[in-house]
Amino acid sequence: MAAFVVFGEALTLGLVSGPACIAACGPVLVPSLLAERAGVRPHARYLSAFLGARLLGYLLFAVVAWELGALASLLPAPRVLLMGAVNVILAGVLLWYAYSAKHICDPSCSESKLVKIGATKNRGMAGAVALGLLTGLSLCPPFVAAGVRAAELGSLASALFFFGTFFVGTSVWFIPFIGMGCIARNQAVITVARMAMALIALYYLSLGIAMLLGRKGYGY
Amino acid sequence: MATNARLPRLAPAPLRGIVRSLLLTLPIAVWSLLMFFHPGSHTDPKSRIAAAMTALFMTALFFMMMRTGKTYRWRRWFFVTLGILFPVGFIYNMVIARGTIGIPIEEMIAGRTPFCFLPIPLLILPAALTKTLVFPGSIMTSSHGIAAMVGLWLAITLVLGKGWCAYACFFGGIEESMAAVPQRAKIRKIDPRWRYGPWAVLLAMVLLSLALFEPAYCMWLCPFKAVSEYVAARNAVGLVQNGIFILLFAGLVIVLPLLTKKRTQCSFFCLFGAFQSIFNKISIFEVKIDQTHCKPCNICQTACPTLSLSKESIAHGETLLTCMKCGACVDACPRQAVVWHIKGTQIAWKPERARLMFLYAAWALAVMFGGSIIAQGLVTILHFVA
Repeated sequence: MAAFVVFGEALTLGLVSGPACIAACGPVLVPSLLAERAGVRPHARYLSAFLGARLLGYLLFAVVAWELGALASLLPAPRVLLMGAVNVILAGVLLWYAYSAKHICDPSCSESKLVKIGATKNRGMAGAVALGLLTGLSLCPPFVAAGVRAAELGSLASALFFFGTFFVGTSVWFIPFIGMGCIARNQAVITVARMAMALIALYYLSLGIAMLLGRKGYGY
Repeated sequence: MATNARLPRLAPAPLRGIVRSLLLTLPIAVWSLLMFFHPGSHTDPKSRIAAAMTALFMTALFFMMMRTGKTYRWRRWFFVTLGILFPVGFIYNMVIARGTIGIPIEEMIAGRTPFCFLPIPLLILPAALTKTLVFPGSIMTSSHGIAAMVGLWLAITLVLGKGWCAYACFFGGIEESMAAVPQRAKIRKIDPRWRYGPWAVLLAMVLLSLALFEPAYCMWLCPFKAVSEYVAARNAVGLVQNGIFILLFAGLVIVLPLLTKKRTQCSFFCLFGAFQSIFNKISIFEVKIDQTHCKPCNICQTACPTLSLSKESIAHGETLLTCMKCGACVDACPRQAVVWHIKGTQIAWKPERARLMFLYAAWALAVMFGGSIIAQGLVTILHFVA
C-alpha cells in the first residue's frame, strides 16, 4: 500500500511538473534535435538516449539526496556551486555540439534539398547522452521538490523508486518532441540550430561562471 | 558589375502630374492632420509647431513618392529622421520623468517602463503555458492595453507583413541613418549564412525566456538598450550586461552599417524581424520579380538593405521571407522588372496600383507611429533651441 502511495505521488508530481521540465530542458533539447537528421525514428532514438541519460542523472541525484538525508546538497551555497559547474559543462557540450554539427549538411546540402546523412549516422548519440545527463542534474524547482520528498523516504530503494516514477511522469511530456523529426532539414535549419546552440551555450557559460564566482547571475 | 553597365536601361517611369500627385496625396494629408491636430492635442506653441512640421514633412514625402514613382528614396528621409529623433525625444522624456534612463528591475517588473515591441515573441510561450507575462513594460498594467496592442499589431501585420520594419521601427531608423552615410560599401562580400542569425536569436531567446521566466533578450542582448531604458547596474554583472548592450549597439548599429551599407542588426540579429517575417506569408502585399523583364544583373540584390534577395530567389521571381518591402530593389531595377504585387493577381498586373494600395497602408502607419516620435523629438529640440 505504501509503495502504491509513493508511486502515485511520484507519478502525479512528475506529470504536473512536466511542462516545467520541458521549459527547463527546451533550450538544450530543441536546437540539438533540430541539428539532427530528419525522421521520426532518428528522433525517437535521440530522445531515448537523452531521456535515458536524464534518468541516470535523476537516479544519481536520488542517491545523493537520500544519502545526505538532511538535504545538505540542497542548501543554497553547494546548490549554487553545483548549478554553476553543471551550467559551465553544459555550455561546453553545447558548443562542441554546435561545432560538430557543421558537417551534417555535407556533402551537398543546398537551400532547398533535404539533407542526406550517411557517415554521420550516430554522431548525436554521445551528445544526447551528455546533454541528457547534465539536464538530469539541473536543479529545477520540481526536481528539487522531488529531491526533498525522496530524502524523506525510509530507504535508498524507495528514493530510487520515487525518482524513477517521477521521471516516467515527466517523460510523457517529451514524447511530442519526436514530431520534430517531421521538420525537413536543410542548411537553413541546421545553421539556425547551430547558431542557437552557440548563443544558449554562451548564456549558460556566463550564468555558470557568475555562480562559480559566487556572484548573482544578474546585474540587479 | 561590368555586365550591369551594358544592360539596356528602359526609360524611367514618367513623372506623374502635379495635380494628380496632389490628389493622390490628399488622403495622407487628411490623415496627418487628424493625427497631429485632433482636439486637445496641443497645449503649448512648441508642440503645435512640431506637429505642423511633422505633418508637412510626412505629407511632402508622400507627395514626392507619388510624383516620382520612387519609394525607397523618400521613405529613407523619413526613416533617417525617425532614427535620429527617436533617442532625442525618448532620452529627454526619460530624464525629465525619472532623472535617468537606468531603471531598477523592480520598476520593470511592476510594469512602470515604456512599452517596447521587441520582446513580444518572448512572451508567447510563457503566457500560453502559465498565463504569466514575462514582459518588462507598461503592457502589464491593463488587460485592455494588451488587447489594444495585440489587435493593432495583428491588423498592421496582416496588411503589411514585415513592413513594420521599414515604416515604423524607430530602432531600424538608427542603422539606416548609419548605412546612408558612406557612398560605397567597404565590405561587399557577406556570407549569406549570417541571414539565419535573427532566426537563431529568436529560437534561443524564446527557449531561454521560457526556461528562465524572464525576457532574456532584454536582460542580455538588446543593442538598443544603449539608447533607451536599461536595467540599472548595481553590481559587476550589471556592468557586464550594459557593456554587452553598448558593444552590440556599436558593432551592429553603427560600425557594420557604415562598412556594409546594410541594416546589419536587422539582417543578422533582430528577433522581432524574424518573428515578423513569418507573417509575410499571410500579408497580401509582396515584391515580385517579373521574369519576362529580368536580366539577372543582381542590381536589386546589391540594393537590398537586409539581404532579402539571393540569386536563387531572383531566379524564382521572388524575394526571401525576410523582405520588409522598403522598395529599394524596385527603385534600383533599371528594367522595372521588380514590381509591387498583390497576392492572387498575375505578376506585373498593374504594379503601380499595388504600390499605391500598399503605400497608403504603410504610410498611414508611418504617420501614426513614426510621425508621433518625430514630433516628440522636434518638441525636445525646440525646448533646447527656444
